[in-house]
Amino acid sequence: MEMMTSRDMPTVQAEREAAIEAVGLCKSFKTPVVAQGRFSGIRSLFSREYTTKEAVRDIGFTVEKGDFVGYIGPNGAGKSTTIKMLTGILHPSSGSVKLAGIDPHRDRLRCASRLGVVFGQRSQLWWDLPVKDSYDILAHMYGVDDADKVRRLGEFAELLDLDEFWDTPVRKLSLGQRMRADIAAAMLHDPELLFLDEPTIGLDVNAKRNIRGFLKVLNEEFGKTILLTTHDMDDIEQLCRRVMVIGGGRLTYDGTVEGLRREIGLPTEIKVTYRAGYVLAGQGDDLIVSGDMQTGAHVQPNQESDLHAADSSFAMRIVSRTESTLTVEVNREEVRTMDALRELGHWGEIEDVEMREPDFEEIIRRVYG
Amino acid sequence: MNERTIGDRRVALQNYIKLYLILIRTSVRSRMQYRFNFAFGTVLAAIIQLSEFLMIAIVLAKFGAVRGWTMHEVGYLFAVMTLAKTLYRTFGNEVHNLERYLVEGELDQLLTKPLPVLLSLMPRGFRLMPGELLQGGAILAWALGEMLRTGQVTWWAIPQTLFAIVTGGVVLFAIGMATATCGFWTTRISMLQNMTEDAAQTAARYPLTLYPGWMSGLLLTAVPVGLVGYVPALYILRGELGLWVFPVLAAASCLAVLLALRFWKFGISKYQSTGS
Amino acid sequence: MISFRSNTRLYQTLAAKAYARNIQYRGSHLLHNFASAAFGYLYACIWIGLGRDHSLGDYGTIGMLHYITFTQTSLWVASFTTMGLGIPQSVRTGQIALDLMRPVHLFTHLMAKEWGQIAYQFLYKSIPIYIVMQLALGLTPIDGGRTLPLALTALAGAAYMAICMNYMMGISALWTTESSWLYWGNQALMNLLAGFFIPLEWLPDWLQTVAWASPYPFMLYAPTQFYLGKGDPVLLLGTLAWCAALTLLCLLATKLLRHKVEVQGG
Repeated sequence: MEMMTSRDMPTVQAEREAAIEAVGLCKSFKTPVVAQGRFSGIRSLFSREYTTKEAVRDIGFTVEKGDFVGYIGPNGAGKSTTIKMLTGILHPSSGSVKLAGIDPHRDRLRCASRLGVVFGQRSQLWWDLPVKDSYDILAHMYGVDDADKVRRLGEFAELLDLDEFWDTPVRKLSLGQRMRADIAAAMLHDPELLFLDEPTIGLDVNAKRNIRGFLKVLNEEFGKTILLTTHDMDDIEQLCRRVMVIGGGRLTYDGTVEGLRREIGLPTEIKVTYRAGYVLAGQGDDLIVSGDMQTGAHVQPNQESDLHAADSSFAMRIVSRTESTLTVEVNREEVRTMDALRELGHWGEIEDVEMREPDFEEIIRRVYG
Repeated sequence: MNERTIGDRRVALQNYIKLYLILIRTSVRSRMQYRFNFAFGTVLAAIIQLSEFLMIAIVLAKFGAVRGWTMHEVGYLFAVMTLAKTLYRTFGNEVHNLERYLVEGELDQLLTKPLPVLLSLMPRGFRLMPGELLQGGAILAWALGEMLRTGQVTWWAIPQTLFAIVTGGVVLFAIGMATATCGFWTTRISMLQNMTEDAAQTAARYPLTLYPGWMSGLLLTAVPVGLVGYVPALYILRGELGLWVFPVLAAASCLAVLLALRFWKFGISKYQSTGS
Repeated sequence: MISFRSNTRLYQTLAAKAYARNIQYRGSHLLHNFASAAFGYLYACIWIGLGRDHSLGDYGTIGMLHYITFTQTSLWVASFTTMGLGIPQSVRTGQIALDLMRPVHLFTHLMAKEWGQIAYQFLYKSIPIYIVMQLALGLTPIDGGRTLPLALTALAGAAYMAICMNYMMGISALWTTESSWLYWGNQALMNLLAGFFIPLEWLPDWLQTVAWASPYPFMLYAPTQFYLGKGDPVLLLGTLAWCAALTLLCLLATKLLRHKVEVQGG
């Protein structure tokens, strides 16, 4: 009911408000110290010793309406804690959250009807009931009237193929089906803002594609603001315009996906095939590739070397080489591709060039470090 | 902050009741889908209940009376307790099962719902308990039937007993909710439930005069299970106390629920500030 | 007992792990014991109350207090085993197919684990509860504890039977989602037919007949009789016979389970 009134009368003020506004969010947990040694069981019962763990330290950001934000970070970095604070599940130790201008902690009930939340690991559906019964219950919980419910479910059913398991009890659904059903459930009351905590975890390629497609439609056609956490970098690359990285409880990056790529400065790989062998310039004769080297053999790590071209100050690193090919890495922030190729051309007659942009997985590995 | 008017509240309440009715309907329907399981569970529940009663009945058959309470009177205590507990667990089963929500983190889900946590928790598990209902009802009919026949009670006893069952269910719910609330600090509550629910309910199936004074005192105040069957039975069956028992029961059960609710709200706020 | 093949080391490890897993929680378990002892005290109060108006047969009030103390203590060995040995859960998660693939028999595998659990419960639950109840009721061990060896032998047999029965209840989870009812049903029968609260000779004749046709009397009543110095050692033969019979049933049940899993894929 609340939701209906608030949406029927959108104020100018509300239009200008950010979808999410987090300021100086901190969260620390106290855990009792577990006693060791004799009678430890009894002693820890009465112990008053605590260790304080700072899960989230001073996180602040603003998400505009219609944004699609990816929130990534290694396990235990504070992702879930942040999501829980944003959705009003946990109270921050300090700092504040505003969702479309409403404080989810002071005014949880009002805020809840404007939010959709999906936890990838847990279902909000009724375990023993057919999927459609869960929707009936949720519709009543959120005060969605029948006409709206039928219309929305019709739309979702088409996009998410809900029909195939409409009458199946939730416990009998596959993980992919359950996730689709769960996302539809979170959208049933047509919230402006959708939080998803690892929505693609454990799903197969098809299920992931289906869900990504749906989220894209929600964002692009219905203008929903979406924030998701994930460990799947395809989610980020295919969906998110903006990515935030959390590490050790702090926000370590906030910007575009390309920007993240750039910031880390991952090298581009260039694989050059020479027509008739090559001679490495600027190094001793021992680095000239001899004919008895096995084709396709990789250079041992300790043989990798930084090559400093004589006429420029940039670095190329040999990743691997064979009799006729050479694979090098260059950081394109520092080196223009043409310069790198010109240098490589000095070493022999180039027959073919292959270039590979850094893998997003690789970027993340470096970010998580 | 909350600008809900009284009209809004009424709509919200109506909506909630509708929600609950839907839940009852779907729950019945889904149980019926698995007829065998349902029948199996019902029969076993009835057997369990019956064997529990047999334990008491055998003692009574062997010794005749417990502290001056006849077999039928003790049967009455047992039946009222069973029915009150059935009432509580039919609607409040998920409060009793809060530990599962805390351990598995499902409580987080409930905190994202536009309803107070208690109200979104309760409809998660509406439970049909025909086995308990049948057994409790049968024993009550047997006990009251005999007492009606001997003229120990009048027909007035029936509405009075129903009243006692309802207030008793409310008292048990309040005890259950207060016990569950401790879980916001300790997460594990089954041990506490063992004391405040299982043991206490078992104790109150017998006349409280059986126990040492401190214990019957506790069972009337701190864990007031004595209010469920024992106190109303003193008036309804034995003509002790007075008619004032009923308003007192109503007031006591309301007070218990209000106190438990207060405690629950405090517990939730602690949970939200510490997390799991 | 059943053939342990050459896997003795494995079974020892399984048992030790189950024991160690519990050790971490012994603080809260010790607290839990107060709840259990409170239950025992409650039952004792009922017998004290009854003893004030009636004579309690051969036992007398003190005898009944000993009786209740020992049955309450024994519950943690003979009755409060892991629900269905954890099989229902493993059926729900599909783990059961994996468990059946292991190179050890499911029955002996789960049994080894459960022995670890029972050993833990005996040390950290039964013994503390026994001590607390002795103190609360002002009792001293019967005959200076000389009856204990025989009683504990019978109790070990009871633990074995409890494992077998839970195993079969667990296996039923493949056919019904309500197998936890069986567990509670079993608890209820323990209360009634095993003589948890009322000595079996006080049951009506027909119920005594039913009881003695079941393994239940050997689970609490027989060990308790030994404890009270009343039992005839011949009763141990009954324990032995039921252990053998239940083992056979368990092996048979495993066959059924295997068939069911192979046909339905869990």
